[in-house]
Amino acid sequence: MKNIITLIIIGLFTIEANAQISKAELVATGLTCSMCSNAINKQFKAMPEVENVTTDLNSNTFTINLKKGNLLSPKSFKDKVEKAGFFIGSLVLTMPFDNIKAGDNVQYNAKEAAYVFVDTKTQTLKGEVKVQVLDKGFVTQKEFKKLQKTFSKYPSYAVNNDKNFHLKTL
Amino acid sequence: MKQFLVFVIMALSINVSAQELFVVTEPASNMPTGSIGLRLGQSLMKEKFKPGNNYHIMPEIMWGANKNLMLHAAAFISNRNKNLVTEGGSIYAKYRFLSKDDLHQHFRMAAFGRVSLNNSDIHQEEINTMGHNSGFETGIVATQLINKVAISASSSFEKATNNSKTYKFPASQSNSATNYTLSFGRLMYPNKYKSYKQTNINLMLEFMGQTLNRNGKSFLDIVPSLQVIINSQARIDVAYVKEIYSNMLRTAPNGLYLKLEYSFFNVTK
Repeated sequence: MKNIITLIIIGLFTIEANAQISKAELVATGLTCSMCSNAINKQFKAMPEVENVTTDLNSNTFTINLKKGNLLSPKSFKDKVEKAGFFIGSLVLTMPFDNIKAGDNVQYNAKEAAYVFVDTKTQTLKGEVKVQVLDKGFVTQKEFKKLQKTFSKYPSYAVNNDKNFHLKTL
Repeated sequence: MKQFLVFVIMALSINVSAQELFVVTEPASNMPTGSIGLRLGQSLMKEKFKPGNNYHIMPEIMWGANKNLMLHAAAFISNRNKNLVTEGGSIYAKYRFLSKDDLHQHFRMAAFGRVSLNNSDIHQEEINTMGHNSGFETGIVATQLINKVAISASSSFEKATNNSKTYKFPASQSNSATNYTLSFGRLMYPNKYKSYKQTNINLMLEFMGQTLNRNGKSFLDIVPSLQVIINSQARIDVAYVKEIYSNMLRTAPNGLYLKLEYSFFNVTK
């Protein structure tokens, strides 16, 4: 019994550790000027989970390194960009996986969110893996219109809530 | 004159590369949520019918209430009575109701409204609730940003009321007007961004027109301006206002604007 409890506890911790986002590479849309970009930059810098932020002002790409133990989900980034008055054009997350079986339409439950792999070959994810979030609000409005059609085979894609995200491994 | 305007507009549309932090008009975009902007607007307008200049100071506080709503409060101070006197103030709100964004571009629309109080004398036919008349203004603004080009247009309804018991709105004048604005902006420097510390220079060209609803009298102003943005946080705008057409009484249509602005990010949640 004790062993089982220990295993469950280890299991829980493993899931929690697996779910952590260690880095986010985010392209913001709807802006050109550095003052607009700074509004987004300041939103990220004010997050306690953020270690540091670097920006490429010409492409409006923000590279956000996150502290260990954070419980951020993709929604956290969307909220911050939209608070600044802009939108996400693309969001690529670096997440450490520990022997997670991934594949097309395979769901993976983490503590802060549930993820569904889309357009992904059957594989075992080990170590740091880059994944792109493909839900509404995480791609450009034009791209989302296209994805709505191609992803109609995934019933969960149309749901569009804040706790269920669709990832493609890169 | 019309040909000249068409030329200027065309020249800009071909050549433009810009920002939308316009000097005399507001774009459809708002400030970031939770940020506070402090603005000190000053205008020095040459009196047309007497010697001297009409000097106005307008301190303004701006707040990004949420991602779609922005609120401003301003005070109007002027030297119309020799010494600087606070003549009134205004409250302004702008709500962004449409956003179509893509990489380095957006099309946005917003509705705005202003209520103003002013106790100065009414001395012209032009209606201006930003420092001259008590009343209100309400309208719609649309802004298109493409790469570094920004073009914005607005239309509004403005109504003047009595300025005070002493200064009633003259019954012989039109107490309402329709306003139109058209703004272009262009980023001049830098060509390529290196950091937030880099100073940005923008050139703007704006047109402001008004038609009085009761008698159809109208004016059109052209406002070229230079904007310097420091540290991605502070703004200095210098603009020259020039009347290019008018058949209504305006006492000081031409002059200079100097606007200073500083943004504080993440002040409120």
